[in-house]
Amino acid sequence: MERSILHMDLDTFFVSVERLLDSRLRDRPILIGGSGDRGVVAACSYEARAFGVHSAMPMRMARELCPEAIVIHGNSATYSAHSQAVTEIVRESVPVVEKASVDEFYADLTGVDRFLGTYKMASELRSRIALETGLPLSFGLSINKTVSKVATGVAKPNNQLRIASGEEKTFLAPLSVRKIPMVGEKMYQSLRNLGVQTIGTVQEMPVDLLQQVFGKPGKTLWEKAQGVDPTPVVPTQERKSISAERTFERDTLDAQKLEGLLTAMVENLCFQLRRGDKVTSEITLKIRYADFETQTKQRKIPYTSADHVLIPLAKSLFRELHSRRLMVRLVGVRFGGLVGGGMQFQLFEQEARVHQLYEALDAVRKKYGDRAVVRASGLHARSIGGASNPFDGGPPMLLARRRQ
Amino acid sequence: MKFIVSSGQLLRSLQSISGVINSNNTLPILDNFLFSLAPSALKITASDLETTMSTTVRVEADGDGLAAVPARILLDTLKSFPEQPLTFTFDAKAGVVEISSDFGKYSVAFLDGTEFPQLPDLENASSAELPAHVLTTAIQKTLFAAGNDDLRPVMSGVFFQFAADSLTFVATDAHKLVRYRRTDLGTDHTAEFILPKKPLNLLKGSVGNGDNTVTITHTAANARFEYDDTVLTCRLIDGKYPNYEAVIPRDNPNKMTLDRTSLLSSTKRVSIFANKTTHQIRFKVAGNELHISAEDVDFANKAHERLTCHYEGNDIEIGFNSRFIADMLGNLESEEVRIELSSPNRAGLIVPSDGTENGEDVLMLVMPVMLNS
Repeated sequence: MERSILHMDLDTFFVSVERLLDSRLRDRPILIGGSGDRGVVAACSYEARAFGVHSAMPMRMARELCPEAIVIHGNSATYSAHSQAVTEIVRESVPVVEKASVDEFYADLTGVDRFLGTYKMASELRSRIALETGLPLSFGLSINKTVSKVATGVAKPNNQLRIASGEEKTFLAPLSVRKIPMVGEKMYQSLRNLGVQTIGTVQEMPVDLLQQVFGKPGKTLWEKAQGVDPTPVVPTQERKSISAERTFERDTLDAQKLEGLLTAMVENLCFQLRRGDKVTSEITLKIRYADFETQTKQRKIPYTSADHVLIPLAKSLFRELHSRRLMVRLVGVRFGGLVGGGMQFQLFEQEARVHQLYEALDAVRKKYGDRAVVRASGLHARSIGGASNPFDGGPPMLLARRRQ
Repeated sequence: MKFIVSSGQLLRSLQSISGVINSNNTLPILDNFLFSLAPSALKITASDLETTMSTTVRVEADGDGLAAVPARILLDTLKSFPEQPLTFTFDAKAGVVEISSDFGKYSVAFLDGTEFPQLPDLENASSAELPAHVLTTAIQKTLFAAGNDDLRPVMSGVFFQFAADSLTFVATDAHKLVRYRRTDLGTDHTAEFILPKKPLNLLKGSVGNGDNTVTITHTAANARFEYDDTVLTCRLIDGKYPNYEAVIPRDNPNKMTLDRTSLLSSTKRVSIFANKTTHQIRFKVAGNELHISAEDVDFANKAHERLTCHYEGNDIEIGFNSRFIADMLGNLESEEVRIELSSPNRAGLIVPSDGTENGEDVLMLVMPVMLNS
């Protein structure tokens, strides 16, 4: 059966939220992101884009390009709340919704035709969201996720576009290959080196050639270029890992600071695990030196979610990993191999008491927030935690104040 | 050097000790059986440096000497013969042994037997004796609970603890623990040592269930088991065994008695629906009913069963790894078991409530998993 897939995207979401809170920001170039030397642009208004600014650009460069822009730190919690409000409206009106990120939704409207007509329904939903939340948004409607997403991109800003069934190929043909969601900077460069500029060219290429160049993704790319994408709209995503990382404002060699930060990160992640009733079987440490060399170290462990196991392990992995006599730019921890379940208690260790302690600590955190009780050694580490529950089925949160 | 031997008898002897030989050895000589011929008896030895096992076969001998004969070839050949006398003739100059059967002749090169690793001397050893069936049962009851963790080598073996009034065998992997004790037996000297898994498995398969005596001689580093015609010598695990008595909970207010096989089959059935990696199941005891349940949220699998039991104590809800429970229940033979619990984060005790011999004491301990309710 032919499907009807809707893709909705809130236009310059962070900026729109800020404008909602302060109307003076309207029609002015705005940059949102960390303002320090290492901040990156998390979002920018269309007025700023006219200056050549784009997201993920270093903040310094953006300010040089557009000196009159207003720079805002941003507040992830506020954005989450607004995103939540939009999500609720969408969930109310549509049967199957996938929240792809903080400002993006896919909805499967297949079968709604019989009653309402999908385009009419999508248009009504769009105006309802715009009216109730005050946030501008665009949508694309077609037979699959890829074409809808591309259509949204073309429709933007604050507009809508329907690609009639059977028109997918002709719609995609004149567009740049960069518009296909899976094409990143690297793939785009390779395609340009092959002399490919528009999706139309990809459509005419033999699939074998693409497969030779890109391997398996080559085939997917070719299919997407043909307007074929069978992936379903999945309402919830299962988290396979959780992680935390931090780029320092200034590179550091301060072992105490580094270990304190690690402690804080692991402690918070452990709490997330226990709250989600999960245990991890794999810990990965990541370190980036001042010269951008990035190294990771991974270890398989028996299933656990205990601070007293994971914190010393993270520290010892970090000591093994930190071998170069060089300043550190970033540290990160990831817990992988997550499965649902409680951790196994051990004989010969005073574990019963430790777990009672965790229960008590977790109860305080659930009531007063993640960072209500922390180890003193990790007290100085700010901006750790405070994130939403990673196991609620939603997409990972996008931080407003990122550093590179 | 030459001898005549019954093919079946030789094969049985070789098979009883061939388990010692590793499939890939760093020392090539360890791929061989050491034959040491004395008048009227052939002693055959196999070794992996850690464990050495030897046995004696009656033969018609001509001369004496040492030779290391390739194990694989010898076993494969002997397996293919019907019962018949075989003649082994060693040609020391050519380094070849010729085997003559009713069907024909076979030759294989042998190595100099003096290169075979020597057994360690057990100096200042103390010794103990126990009936073969006791040793076999003790190993069967405990070995499954021993761990595999290279980081905690002491837990990868079985702890032997001999005293004047009892013999105790303990195995644990820090999640479960089994203590098998005989209070009807004792030794003159107290002794404590940890035996690794490999010799335990070999002993389990070869000591047998008879009433014959096994003599155990041991020093701080090695132990020797002598029974029938066989001698097994092995290195012990070095280290201090954890204080297991301290972790056995003394006061368990909640006691449940129920049929072992129905609990075992319920556990196995319910655990099919549990998470495939954690094997977590939930015991909930209320009144005289035990509710066993499991859930795999990722696949929306769920199971719930109810068993009647005899229960004294407060209602309790506790999580376990179903594999531990199944292993332990499967290792018991009793009609009924008694499960003693104190709290959801403390060890649970499993003991057979019948079917044990006089003087036999089996105790199993299993740590729960944390439940998020």
